[in-house]
Amino acid sequence: MPPVTINEEETILGVRRIVKRIGATRADLIPVLQAVTNEFGFISQPAMEELSALMNLPTKEIHSVATFYRMLSTQPRGRHVIQFCESAPCHVVGGREVFATLKQALALEPGQTSPDNKWTLLTTSCLGVCGMGPVILIDTDMYGNVTPEQVKEILSRYE
Amino acid sequence: MTKLTINGIEVQSESNWTILKAAEHAGVTIPTLCYHKDLSPTGACRMCLVNVKGAKGLTTACTTPVSEGMEVETENEVLASSRRSVLKLLLSVYYDQGYKPDDTDNDLYKWARFYGLDPHKYMASKPRYEVDSDPNPFIFVDLNKCILCTRCVRACSEIQGRFVWGVSERGFEAHVSPGMEEDMIDARCESCGACVAYCPTGALSLKPTISVQPAEKKVTTTCAYCGVGCQFDLNVIDDTVVKVTSNPLAPANGMHLCVKGRFGFSYIHHEDRLTKPLVREYLLNGTQRPSKSDRGKWVETDWDTALDLVAKKLADTRDTYGPDSIGVLSSAKCTNEENYLMNKFARQVIGTNNVDHCARLCHASTVAGLATTLGSGAMTNSMQDVYEAANSIFVIGSNTTEQHPVFGAKMRQAVLNRGVKLVVADPRKIELCEFATLHLQQKPGTDIALVNGLMYIILEKGYEDKQFIEERTENFDALVENVKQYPPEKVSKITGIPVDQLYEAVEIIVHNAPMAVFWAMGITQHTVGVHNVFSLADLQLMLGNFGKPGAGVNPLRGQNNVQGACDMGCLVNVYPGYQAVTAEASQQKFEAAWGTTLSNKVGKTVTEIIPGVLEGTTKALYILGENPMMTDPDTNHIRHCLEELDFLALQEIFPTETSKYADVLLPGVTFAEKTGTFTSTERRVQMVRQAITPRGESRPDWAVTADLAKRVIAQGGRQIDAAPYAGWDYADSGEVMAEIAALTPSYGGISHERLNAGETLCWPCPTSTHPGTPILHIGKFTRGKATFLPAIHLDPSELPDEEYPVMMTTGRVIYHWHSGEQTRRVKELMEIYGEPLIEVSYEDAAQLGLNEEVNHVKVTSRRGTITARAWVTDRVPEGLIYGTFHFPEANVNTLTKAALDPIAKIPEYKVTAVRIEAVN
Repeated sequence: MPPVTINEEETILGVRRIVKRIGATRADLIPVLQAVTNEFGFISQPAMEELSALMNLPTKEIHSVATFYRMLSTQPRGRHVIQFCESAPCHVVGGREVFATLKQALALEPGQTSPDNKWTLLTTSCLGVCGMGPVILIDTDMYGNVTPEQVKEILSRYE
Repeated sequence: MTKLTINGIEVQSESNWTILKAAEHAGVTIPTLCYHKDLSPTGACRMCLVNVKGAKGLTTACTTPVSEGMEVETENEVLASSRRSVLKLLLSVYYDQGYKPDDTDNDLYKWARFYGLDPHKYMASKPRYEVDSDPNPFIFVDLNKCILCTRCVRACSEIQGRFVWGVSERGFEAHVSPGMEEDMIDARCESCGACVAYCPTGALSLKPTISVQPAEKKVTTTCAYCGVGCQFDLNVIDDTVVKVTSNPLAPANGMHLCVKGRFGFSYIHHEDRLTKPLVREYLLNGTQRPSKSDRGKWVETDWDTALDLVAKKLADTRDTYGPDSIGVLSSAKCTNEENYLMNKFARQVIGTNNVDHCARLCHASTVAGLATTLGSGAMTNSMQDVYEAANSIFVIGSNTTEQHPVFGAKMRQAVLNRGVKLVVADPRKIELCEFATLHLQQKPGTDIALVNGLMYIILEKGYEDKQFIEERTENFDALVENVKQYPPEKVSKITGIPVDQLYEAVEIIVHNAPMAVFWAMGITQHTVGVHNVFSLADLQLMLGNFGKPGAGVNPLRGQNNVQGACDMGCLVNVYPGYQAVTAEASQQKFEAAWGTTLSNKVGKTVTEIIPGVLEGTTKALYILGENPMMTDPDTNHIRHCLEELDFLALQEIFPTETSKYADVLLPGVTFAEKTGTFTSTERRVQMVRQAITPRGESRPDWAVTADLAKRVIAQGGRQIDAAPYAGWDYADSGEVMAEIAALTPSYGGISHERLNAGETLCWPCPTSTHPGTPILHIGKFTRGKATFLPAIHLDPSELPDEEYPVMMTTGRVIYHWHSGEQTRRVKELMEIYGEPLIEVSYEDAAQLGLNEEVNHVKVTSRRGTITARAWVTDRVPEGLIYGTFHFPEANVNTLTKAALDPIAKIPEYKVTAVRIEAVN
């Protein structure tokens, strides 16, 4: 095997652990990618290469899946990932204003990560809780009926 | 069968067909974009929507199966309106910068215009992506012209089996991209160009020819690289080949081609082409040659001067030293017609059986081995039937995906689409191992032990096909006696393969019958080459894998026409059609045909003729399109021999390493400039068609040989009487083929007329109405009963020792062809693979101290030294290195040893003991 850097080695060992735990069939790919994202913050190229070898899948297929789902990422992300629902039901109940406040508070545009690596801001399609829009998902915490005034307080809950 | 109506007309359809396929068969065109018959349908583009009576909404014709009584409408105003909407939507995100003058292959434009839309009016006003976004030298990527039909994605995965392309992101951001958003080459692209061939919108184009105009004419011909026998269309403008495009009707390959076939043609017009006969000055002045190693200045001359000079030299040599002092080396790159004439030239005009060609260096062991065991020395099955019917494939000593890339892709397809079990036995971790159920990594030169070991286990388990052995074979007892000497533990020790893998291999190939075995140079290029072939024939006989689809012994022939050159008698012991020169009946037959007395003494091989110079037995050579200075083992010795040679006439398309030692250079032509036939590895005889006129004063090689023959005959000294085929006046190569057919039973029914009428014929094809024989040995072997011939493991002639501790094995890479004369003259191939590389394992690299600065290795054998850049890779295990003979500056044949198989006289290219040092 070609020599690898320490960081890559950690990733590869982590990926092996995850595949061993979840499984190596094609059907296991999404949960495996989810677990890699959770553990390393994103799915790096060495991770995809290792998954390709372990799961006998082309790197292209892994990349296609990894870039299709918003819950997965091939780019490094902040410690906390904020997903803002941009679907119509949230939009019409004041979502636009909430999102403007959010962007301003974080000084981020969608897709960006803050310089201190604390935040990544993303938009997402419907999260399935339209009755309580506007909706924000931070990591796995869901916030409903959010108003612009609440944004600052919600953000302050995270280290 | 299913009955349905399409546009009110009753149509019969196979029950498992789609509406689209049924319509195609009924002659009804339904517009499509994402659909291609070679690819799995996805129903994504919505162009093929049709109206099915009673169905809710419109139906995709490409994915919907027919059903009884279905009423389909393919054109009406609603459908046209729907298609116009689809086209407008696609065009709204389509942007054409207008750099490509030839948009004849743009289906989006075709259908837009068909439905009355001006594509330029509806397309986006600005690009979203960089034009020409990928550095691949062959493929021009412009995602502004991509409609996400995913034909490239499916072509790459389903045809080439490489998975370079896929869709990344989603929604409006969705786009096709290579690998993990890498450059194509980094995403392991092999530049086969399948993605381009299947792209319907010009998003992917052939980069080297992006700016050429639509072709004035397209000429369907056969590729002149490997033995797969791909066909394609040469696109010609102004007597120049500008482009190669797929021809969907090609029998062996369909739309598919490899990087060399699709892109490696620009050598045809390279400035180095020989365009005038060249003669050494000393010959024109009638003086002495300056020295042995220096033949002096080249002088351009006319054909009469050059040919008269060669004729006189050859006639004088023959008359002074006897006919066997002349060697005639023919060319597996040339046509059957040309090879037939070279065989006739040697035997009739000179009077010697010293006619040979590079098969001596590649499959001489196969021809000898299979002819003895089965009665015929060729591939028994066709590539397509193996692809369709084999349940397991055993590949030993063939790097198929690099050396026979289009067939290698078919092997990948067989694994991917049908779950065929693949067992690869190779000392290197070749690319095909990724698709293998099992990789047996034997030490070089231990194949007999391996195959005997497998047979031991088969017998131990009682898996042999007793009925087949009883009914169709002989000498089984002798085989059993021999195989008993190869118990698994001993085999494991010799080969380095773990015992359990030997058992696993047997279980795979036995329980997934029929099994087809494939081999190439890894089996043949050994001092035990013939015995290697015996062992593989024995294995298949033991398992009864003969005479049926998906089985057989399948030696993959390297050169485009090496099968044909053998068939045409460019071998020292046989006339065309393997009629032995030692058999009185064949001798009489050809004496009567050619009007002269013929020698019944087996001639000298390539590997004997050239060393014969130093023994004084070889005085002159007439070589057609071979390059022994690059391709024969032990280059320094070959150089010494050629220096000592009295006279060398070389017929070539370029000056080569060998031409430095030639006295006369006769300019021949490439496959694009002549008409004839090639016989592919599956014995398929196919037309090569002239597309352009010969460059400069060069002439088709068959015409040169015929002209030379007449001049040698005119010199006198050898009596040639009037006889049916004594003459050398051929109006065209078709007349030569008629002569071949008359004298060669297996080609008896083959003619240019039949091939031009679209027939595709595998020999034996004995009569003009015979359909050809894709599978050999059905019901009966050519020799009656096949014979088991025991093979005994012997060590290679040179094994590593203290002084030369590393083993070297040699071969080719996908981007280059043999001595590299063609491919080194293709700019783009050189961009990808521009210098010789020596494969070195990570373990050896670490031990040698190879790093970014110190990245070359000096490799020394008992015969010479080369230095080249190291490619540190896990393709080779510790203690083994691999190099090629493509580049004169570091040619592995400087190192290889001319140790020959005693029967086939093939050199042991595959095992050389060397030592390696790191240099920077």
